[in-house]
Amino acid sequence: MINYLIKSIINVLIIIFLGAQSFIYLINQRPLTENFSQKKMTVENFSSIVLSNSGITKIGSEKLNRFDENNFYLEGKSYLENKEYKIYGKNISINLSSEISYSNESVEVVNKIGLLKAQGFKNYDYDGKILFEGEVEFVIKK
Amino acid sequence: MLYLFFFSSANAEGYVKAGESLIWDSENKSYTANGDVEFKNDKFVAFADKMIANYEEEGKDEVFTVIELFNNVVIEFEDETFKGNYAVYTRNDNIIKLTGDVSIESPTRLLTGSELIADIDNNKRILNSANNESLVEVLLENNANN
Repeated sequence: MINYLIKSIINVLIIIFLGAQSFIYLINQRPLTENFSQKKMTVENFSSIVLSNSGITKIGSEKLNRFDENNFYLEGKSYLENKEYKIYGKNISINLSSEISYSNESVEVVNKIGLLKAQGFKNYDYDGKILFEGEVEFVIKK
Repeated sequence: MLYLFFFSSANAEGYVKAGESLIWDSENKSYTANGDVEFKNDKFVAFADKMIANYEEEGKDEVFTVIELFNNVVIEFEDETFKGNYAVYTRNDNIIKLTGDVSIESPTRLLTGSELIADIDNNKRILNSANNESLVEVLLENNANN
């Protein structure tokens, strides 16, 4: 009888203990996920590849700041490079969901026609258009 | 950087300059330049308020094939100056067509009309007019003295 009572008490304690463990596990899981997605990440001397409307684009910079899964900031000397163009600039913002990248700093673009210099750019990649604002000089190669 | 240096100094044939903006539309294969536009190729220099340049692939490169110029168009070709409100240049046949209030000025004379077709390769100029009154020829000072 005593043995039976001890076994029952131990079983109940084990069930309560497992239940408490599961509860603690569930509580710990939720905030961990949220904190991770909101965290700002910085990487130095970064290069990567992005798949977009214009195909594969290689990006790189002295410093990459990642604000969330869609918004990046290429700090310092940076570049975007694909089969159509090579854009060399500074401080370039990229939004992956809208497929727009832009910079208000001076930029140089090399493509199949020549070398373009401008005061800044906004690349509407989904539309295949790049707007260069301010004074622009486009030297045509032979 | 070395590549960029040689590109801009030694290998340049022409250029496009824009004072306000330039839009590269790769889907429609065109460039649209706005504000004090200047275009130069191996044939002429052109100035206008706006320019649309269409391009095509030629081997590994891309080349401008049709150049459209809008408003206050001035084209300098050797010792001649063409003026008009609109101009279109086609690289295929090297012909410039101007419309609007057109004029063609050389060191010795000034001609005005409503349409000018300048055939660069064959050195021909055709000046059309909407009526007899609009076709005017003015002998300039150098020629008048002779």
